Amino acid sequence: MAKVPPGVVAAWTVLLGAMILAVFPYVWMLRTAFAEDTYVRGMNLIPDRFTLNNFVVAWFDSGMSAAMLNGAIVTSGILILQLATGIPAAYAFAKLRFRGRDALFGIVLASLIIPAQAIAVPLFLGVSTLDLANTHAALILPFATSAFGIFLMRQHMVTIPDALLDAARMDGFGHGRILSNVVIPMSRPAILTFALFSVFGSWNEYLWPLLVARAEAIRTPPLALALLQTDALNTDLGVLAAAAVIVTVPIVVLFIVTRRSFVAGLTGGEVTG
Amino acid sequence: MIQRAPTGRGLRRTTSGTGPVQRHHDGRAAALLVAPAVLGLVLFVYIPIAISVVAGFLDIPISGRGIEPVGLDNFVAVLGDPQVHRATLNTILYSLLTIVPSVVLGLALALALEVVGRGRAVASVLLFLPLTANLVAMAVVFRWIFAAPSGFLNQLLGPIGIGPVAFLGDTDTALVTVALVGAWRSVSFAVVLFLAGLTTIPRSVHEAAAVDGVRGFAKVRLVIAPLLRPTIVLVVVLTAIQSIQVFDTVKVMTDGGPDGATETLFTLIWRIGFSYYNLGEASALTLIVLAALVLVGVLRRRQLLRGGQ
Repeated sequence: MAKVPPGVVAAWTVLLGAMILAVFPYVWMLRTAFAEDTYVRGMNLIPDRFTLNNFVVAWFDSGMSAAMLNGAIVTSGILILQLATGIPAAYAFAKLRFRGRDALFGIVLASLIIPAQAIAVPLFLGVSTLDLANTHAALILPFATSAFGIFLMRQHMVTIPDALLDAARMDGFGHGRILSNVVIPMSRPAILTFALFSVFGSWNEYLWPLLVARAEAIRTPPLALALLQTDALNTDLGVLAAAAVIVTVPIVVLFIVTRRSFVAGLTGGEVTG
Repeated sequence: MIQRAPTGRGLRRTTSGTGPVQRHHDGRAAALLVAPAVLGLVLFVYIPIAISVVAGFLDIPISGRGIEPVGLDNFVAVLGDPQVHRATLNTILYSLLTIVPSVVLGLALALALEVVGRGRAVASVLLFLPLTANLVAMAVVFRWIFAAPSGFLNQLLGPIGIGPVAFLGDTDTALVTVALVGAWRSVSFAVVLFLAGLTTIPRSVHEAAAVDGVRGFAKVRLVIAPLLRPTIVLVVVLTAIQSIQVFDTVKVMTDGGPDGATETLFTLIWRIGFSYYNLGEASALTLIVLAALVLVGVLRRRQLLRGGQ
């Protein structure tokens, strides 16, 4: 048997401890969701009896199916708007020269410092005055532009050789065709990374829906889950766990499938340079 | 910066050698390309923040009628409010409880991932999992892990004679417990940043350390930590920005309780604004917190701008 160096043993000890802590809440959530009623409050990691009943109740009777549909509508609506506003802006900031470019880009970057909470009150007043509360529009529109997305995509587009864009212009391409035929295909990794950030962010957003989605029919997944928990007296722990699993599964699957792009974006966007 | 454009263009043209390029009509096209994004930010960030600034100096009755300017009254009231003092202390404590583990454990885990060969991919996926966590779902799960008397942790501690501990119900332990959940996530983020930081240390540095016989903790302390200073600063700043804004987990796990023990600045702003309907004071407190965030964020912005060149 090959001898393992002591450093590696120590490293694995630390890692295993951390891995258990990182994964445990997910495991416990799954286990509670699948456990049959009488085993829900037990200690055993693998319950004696399994059931799918909690999921049936969570999905059909606890409003999770409607919430998931709302989550999908809101998340994709925000993504489409953020890409539609962000890609052209990122291209202009990266590759065009115009008066006030750097000042405008500064304005875009400065907005990154402002947290969503700081603008929630006036936004809420705006939504109320326009009578938009409890609509998908109220959940989507405030996120129509992502400064972070513009920044991330611009960083990537800067690296596209000018010669290529000049050649496209010589061939008579306008900005629209340069975007669709050259810039977007070449920036696919950055666009994908940003799209992931956008989806994770919108899916997990809690504060804003809590303010503007008061009606049951318009609840997003985290909101529906939180209300289910507040109503815990009437909600079975197993059902609550099943609802938590339903909210979590799409993002965990998306993360595992796309983790490389996600992590690359996280480090590329923040650390390099 | 704007005036730099002509020289920049000249330089670019000579270096890329693509001959004359027509850029004189960039202005109008650029305006069209940038307009939707700028409009979005103006409508949904800058106008609201401007309204917040104005609202901080107003008394706004629930009815919305009879709005009056009150000068600095809201700021004076907020700064003299014991609830605000407590929430500020709680937020600072919460931030320290997430920043310290993020730096220490984040670095330790990143180093451990560097050391192990096989299995690194699996280990890193599991360690990164908390990064994208839906905080509401996780708060729900953690709430019953920490539940008293029959939550998972209490059932674990019971047989060895501890407890039951009311982790979330006791004013002494509630904040630490909520901060543990914050740290659970922020450590995961720190690992990613430290891994990226470690790749910037050149191989020659490791070789030199090996030649000099510097190993283990001595190497971390004398060689790696000093070289990772920028990453450490980044982890501290980003974790601080995140922690100052903590809302989701606190709202779901304790809603600021018991007895205000876990009230943080943003849960308090929420309470003042949407339970007491005192929008003037809520705006004033928001502006004070925002000033603190901008202060911390200046560091981050410098990082971003450096990355931009």
